[in-house]
Amino acid sequence: MKTIAKAKLPLVLELLAKEYKVLVPAKFEGVTRFTPYQQDVELALEENVIMPPKDIFFPQTEKMYKFKAKDKSLEIEEYPLEDAMQIIFGIRSCDMKSIDCLDQVFLTKSYVDPYYKNKRDRSILVALSCIEPMDSCFCTSMGIDPQKAVGADIQAYDLGDKIGFEAISDVGKEILEKISSLLTEEEVTLPAVGEFNLNADVEGVPEKLKEMFDHPIWDDISRKCLNCSACAYVCPTCHCFDIANEVRGEDGVKIRCWDCCMFDEYTMMAGGHQPRPGKKERVRNRFLHKLRYFPERYDMLLCTGCGRCVVKCPVNMDITSIIRQIKNA
Amino acid sequence: MAVTAEQVKTINPLVPIKGKVIKIVQETPDVKTFHISTMDDQKPFDPMPGQLGMLSLPAVGEGMFSITNKGENHIEMAIKAVGQLTNALHEIEVGQEVGIRGPYGNGFPVDYCKGKDILFIGGGIGLAPVRSLIMHCIKNRDEFGKLTVVYGARSKADLCFKEDLFENWPQVPNMDVFVTIDREEEGWDGHVGFVPAYVEELAPKPQVTILCGPPIMIKFTLPTLQKMNFADNDIITTLEMRMKCGIGKCGRCNIGSCYVCLDGPVFTMEQLKDLPPEY
Amino acid sequence: MSEITKKIQEIAREILEKGEAEIVIGWEKGTFWYLSPPAFIDKPEDTQRLVWDEFCHNNLSKYLLDYKNHEGKVAIFVKGCDSRAFNRLLQDKQVDREKVVLIGIPCTGLKDQDKAKSLGPNGDIPKAQKCMECKYPTPLVYDYLIGGEEALNEVAATKEAPDFSDVKAVEEMTPDERYDFWTKQYDRCLRCYACRNVCPACSCRECIFDQTRIGWIGKANNSSENQFFALTRAMHVAGRCVECGECERACPMDIPIMLLNKKLIKDINELFGKYDAGIDPEGKLPLGHFDKNDPEEFM
Repeated sequence: MKTIAKAKLPLVLELLAKEYKVLVPAKFEGVTRFTPYQQDVELALEENVIMPPKDIFFPQTEKMYKFKAKDKSLEIEEYPLEDAMQIIFGIRSCDMKSIDCLDQVFLTKSYVDPYYKNKRDRSILVALSCIEPMDSCFCTSMGIDPQKAVGADIQAYDLGDKIGFEAISDVGKEILEKISSLLTEEEVTLPAVGEFNLNADVEGVPEKLKEMFDHPIWDDISRKCLNCSACAYVCPTCHCFDIANEVRGEDGVKIRCWDCCMFDEYTMMAGGHQPRPGKKERVRNRFLHKLRYFPERYDMLLCTGCGRCVVKCPVNMDITSIIRQIKNA
Repeated sequence: MAVTAEQVKTINPLVPIKGKVIKIVQETPDVKTFHISTMDDQKPFDPMPGQLGMLSLPAVGEGMFSITNKGENHIEMAIKAVGQLTNALHEIEVGQEVGIRGPYGNGFPVDYCKGKDILFIGGGIGLAPVRSLIMHCIKNRDEFGKLTVVYGARSKADLCFKEDLFENWPQVPNMDVFVTIDREEEGWDGHVGFVPAYVEELAPKPQVTILCGPPIMIKFTLPTLQKMNFADNDIITTLEMRMKCGIGKCGRCNIGSCYVCLDGPVFTMEQLKDLPPEY
Repeated sequence: MSEITKKIQEIAREILEKGEAEIVIGWEKGTFWYLSPPAFIDKPEDTQRLVWDEFCHNNLSKYLLDYKNHEGKVAIFVKGCDSRAFNRLLQDKQVDREKVVLIGIPCTGLKDQDKAKSLGPNGDIPKAQKCMECKYPTPLVYDYLIGGEEALNEVAATKEAPDFSDVKAVEEMTPDERYDFWTKQYDRCLRCYACRNVCPACSCRECIFDQTRIGWIGKANNSSENQFFALTRAMHVAGRCVECGECERACPMDIPIMLLNKKLIKDINELFGKYDAGIDPEGKLPLGHFDKNDPEEFM
């Protein structure tokens, strides 16, 4: 395998950054997230980033088109789509799986979302393996291999003091070729992955949930939920969005932005009808979406075991514990 | 040029094309029908009966509405003023340029209905989606059996599509139209009473029922239909949820694992039995 | 099991068994050793889930808003700050005193969750910032008190003097520096509204930030909308913030929200006289009434 000392990784990123926009896991203004590589970037490779890579493909706020509305007239103008290729370095297996989930949503079932597709098509994905799970990780419970990601162009391996690279796709081979002068070929043994603190047994859960819509468990689970969207906004797979306007005089921009099923406005209909009026209905929808509806529609769970919601929820709503409660119900 | 459903998938499905309002019909005090064409006087797209369209006044918002009819060079949407966008739409005049995209959703099972006697039940603005299929059946009169419409509204003023109800449809061969209002009122010599009771009283014998109206009407009509020994597969209705994208991505119109914008809005009772009652 | 945990389990069981309340809201152990999230107990046998430890951060008074239209009684455990939140809700007539059973816990200060996470269970985990500045560790209102008078003395001994040094540091910045500081903080705001939803002072049935259709606030996440949110929220809780620090703890982006709240507390103290929210449920709010002696330099 081609390897490089971890300390020399910036040389690789530096070289690639000459040709591509390179996004790396880094600490930026107090939060770890994927950040454009620059010389003084504060790389964050010890643990997974707080903000998942989803906003690279599906930004929290995105301009869709602009318009001009004056009296009876209307002009609509689309923005040109970018075409520069970008490399995203250091995506963990859980987050690579989340990109697979997002691909299902935005690229399948009759319609292709052009905004997502554009960013997805011009992204080269370099996955990075994990050896030491964080306290909140449970990716293996979701059928994910922390050392081998799905959908990567290059799989990078954390080898302790070195990083190894393996090209997966053709474009991955091209990229590895470009940095080959910095790499050394050597035999490596992958280090063993550490113990997982959290786990969840999802076997049979989607099927069991088919009969649990009216189960009292939802009253119990939902009581402490605050109906904020911290869980959804740090979730690598949550993908619901709103379409809204920004209007200044005659000029306007149609934007789309992240939205969350915990909010009242999300399903509130004009005229006041609210199909999911309270905590119970909203919490139930969130977990049924992740564990039953999404598997029914796309044949995969909408949870990758990244553990971000478990850590960030102000009241510790823990999906692994909810899965256990469903199993025991 | 009209855009087909297939073509729409190759262009950006989230960006509307520019259209214009060529006619506005005041149906009731709070319902208007808008006739919409492209700027070059074409149909914006060619919807199937029961499909939906996303209409926008971009500076106010965008809303999903059922397409109540299509003409040679336009589509029609009957819209009740209930919120921000619909109130703004009620202020516009002929010539207003609007954004329009679609068609969305599955539409009514037209082929399944072919050769069958059809009962259409509508309440209030609920006749809007049903009308698209009625108009289709009338245009292709030979392909369908007997057509029966039972329609009710709160008052005479609240009846939508009065010209169809009282002039056009009664002249269609082998078609019966029954209209009722909730309470007696001066100048009304027609039937008075709620739709479910009227259906029971009329006891029509159709093979398929298309039903759309306020939840309370649907709730009380279903037992009547069940008494009439309908198979769940032959009771067809349309559902509404809040929608934003119209293409099954943005998430909010889900009922269970179905998206109303994509997998609906038309569902049979058989399908609804499998979905959570969350609409 | 600590003595206090044993006592809270006993009292919760008694309350449920005697039917004094239908539900007891306390804390239980969460996913990690440094998390003690809220627990809703309605069966006497479940009271064994309840705990008291240095991570019982959640201000449970907030949940009383969920039970506003509930017929039966609700019992909640309150620390000093939680009891101030309760008084505040009482002052705004958001809760009915008769329908709540309050069990006071004299609080010697909680520990910082984030530091606990990084230092590990054997580390020397510092107190949470809000607890280092807490003026009211003892519940101000209660029907039962865990530990009795003895506990109150212990709490009094651990009390430390409040300090506005962090606020002063921001005040000393130039306007440009200060603008830059807050812009950077709120540029990472996700507008998840965890700070609002966890806050016991946020009790509006309809919140301005949910009125995106009307256009009070735009849905876009950008500097200007985020700052509008930050300032409006801060001004709206000014004079009602009980310094429980839940907003800042709940924030997934670690925005120093309490710094903003404390700036307003300091300003209120300076402009309208010393005031601590949630002490006197009958009193008038400094920003909620007009006093002839109020400063009015702007007139």
